[in-house]
Amino acid sequence: MARYTKTEFLIACASSHVRDGENVFGGTGMPLLAALLAKETHAPHSNLISEAGFIDARPREVPLSVADTRYYYGSSASLGLIETLGFLLQGGRIDVGFLGAAQIDEYGNLNTSYIGPYESPKVKLPGSGGGNDIASSAKRLIIMMSHDKRKFVKKLDYMTSPGHLEGPGSREKWSMVGNGPEVVITDMCQFDFAPETLRIRLKSVHPGYTVEDVKENVLFDLIVPDDVPTTPEPTQEQIDIMHKLDPNGIYLGKGA
Amino acid sequence: MTEAEVEDKRITLAEAANLVSDGDGLFWGGFGFQRAPIAFAHELVRQKKRNLTVYTCGSEVDLEIMAGAGVATRYEIAFSAIEALGLSYNIRRRVSEGTLEVEDYTNLAMAMRFLGGALNVPFMPLRSMMGTDMVNLTRYRGENKLKVIDSPFTGEKICVVPSLQPDFSIVHVQRVDQSGNAQIDGIVGEDIEGSRCGKKLIVLAEELIDEEEVRTRPDQTKIPAMYVDHVVVLPYTAHPMMCHNYYDYDLEHLMMFHKLSRTEEGWQEYLDNYILGVEDHHGYLDLVGWPRLMELRAKKPWGY
Repeated sequence: MARYTKTEFLIACASSHVRDGENVFGGTGMPLLAALLAKETHAPHSNLISEAGFIDARPREVPLSVADTRYYYGSSASLGLIETLGFLLQGGRIDVGFLGAAQIDEYGNLNTSYIGPYESPKVKLPGSGGGNDIASSAKRLIIMMSHDKRKFVKKLDYMTSPGHLEGPGSREKWSMVGNGPEVVITDMCQFDFAPETLRIRLKSVHPGYTVEDVKENVLFDLIVPDDVPTTPEPTQEQIDIMHKLDPNGIYLGKGA
Repeated sequence: MTEAEVEDKRITLAEAANLVSDGDGLFWGGFGFQRAPIAFAHELVRQKKRNLTVYTCGSEVDLEIMAGAGVATRYEIAFSAIEALGLSYNIRRRVSEGTLEVEDYTNLAMAMRFLGGALNVPFMPLRSMMGTDMVNLTRYRGENKLKVIDSPFTGEKICVVPSLQPDFSIVHVQRVDQSGNAQIDGIVGEDIEGSRCGKKLIVLAEELIDEEEVRTRPDQTKIPAMYVDHVVVLPYTAHPMMCHNYYDYDLEHLMMFHKLSRTEEGWQEYLDNYILGVEDHHGYLDLVGWPRLMELRAKKPWGY
């Protein structure tokens, strides 16, 4: 059994959701490493795209910004926002997008804008960026969040990006291009969405956590299937590849 | 063939900033860490401009500077943070104090608003934002932030956003000739649309090239001179952000900036030292130090 850090575990877990041949909006941080790891292992024909304009990117050093020049060398095209968010994403050509959030509700709707009331917010968060565009139009959405009870709420302070909105039929009402969130990865578990209700459902728990731990750490009623498997651990090969992709430990950290 | 005399559109940074009046609206170029017109933000601060509205997708340190110094009081943007480092504290404080109003859009929505302005049509449709609070909650724009309508052709729901034709477009590029033909390396972000939407366009460039160089490689011209009103040639315009093929971001400076901006006192210290405490952009570069600036210079073939 390989020894691994929490970050390595989450990257490997996220990477398993990228399929071969897919067009992926990778961004930066853990999603970027997950997309790159997938390409180096089970999804060699996946196409990593940065919303800033880089197509089929193969960065030799990890970028800090979606517009970082580190994305440029080795990519097959270097264009702009109308290209990536318009022609590609809104055009229905992006298979997978990754998003994080400060709050999520039971339908996978996301808040990345404000904590507290909109009229007098306690904290102004980064906002949508391309997040709402991606949540609206990517065919599938993978959400990555740190697991803090206060983030898994019944009602969002502000809905920045659409998950499954109010459940079945609601994305269709707004003629959305994409199908919404497929999986939520936290540092405790994975969630997916029950097909009949599109409400969040426990999918697997990570090693060291129980179903009870998860239930105690969400502020809504959680759907728990009879059989909840343990999330697979990363292999040594996956960990080694991650460190080749991020040799300076920009996202993986130095100590590992 | 007779050679017509080519207009020289070059002015100084101070002259360019002086063209901006209090209350004006600016399209702000660059995206993320790339080609941010930081030097122009500094000069707006030194000239004590007030009540500006800034339109952009996702600028970072420059938005922090203009919010912190009270130059801008309205932002129509999609994103405010410093990627990899964290929240934008100046914007957060100014919003809490009520001295800055942020009207929230998405990156695609802002790019479409610039495209609409450039095309000289009143609005543009897109498929984002519907079903969320981005539609329902607005600030000073009220009902004029956006509308969700039934498509007149298909009947499906579609979001329409108002086009923008601000007083100025401010765009930072790698190279320009004296008449304004501008070359951009790497990604263009939203600068193709953005450069065409403003009533006046000011191009800041790292390097002056001869028109002959432009005509040797016309496919490199991302903004033809006919759009350009003024040209400012200045090195390290984007520092501490990056300029593709010219220099990398200055991570130490960025981290120092971000750390100081956590508190109002820290931000005031940065403002006094690096912006108000220097005469001009050259003074700023001297303060950052040429050994450091030379370290940041891009290496071929990587571009950073």
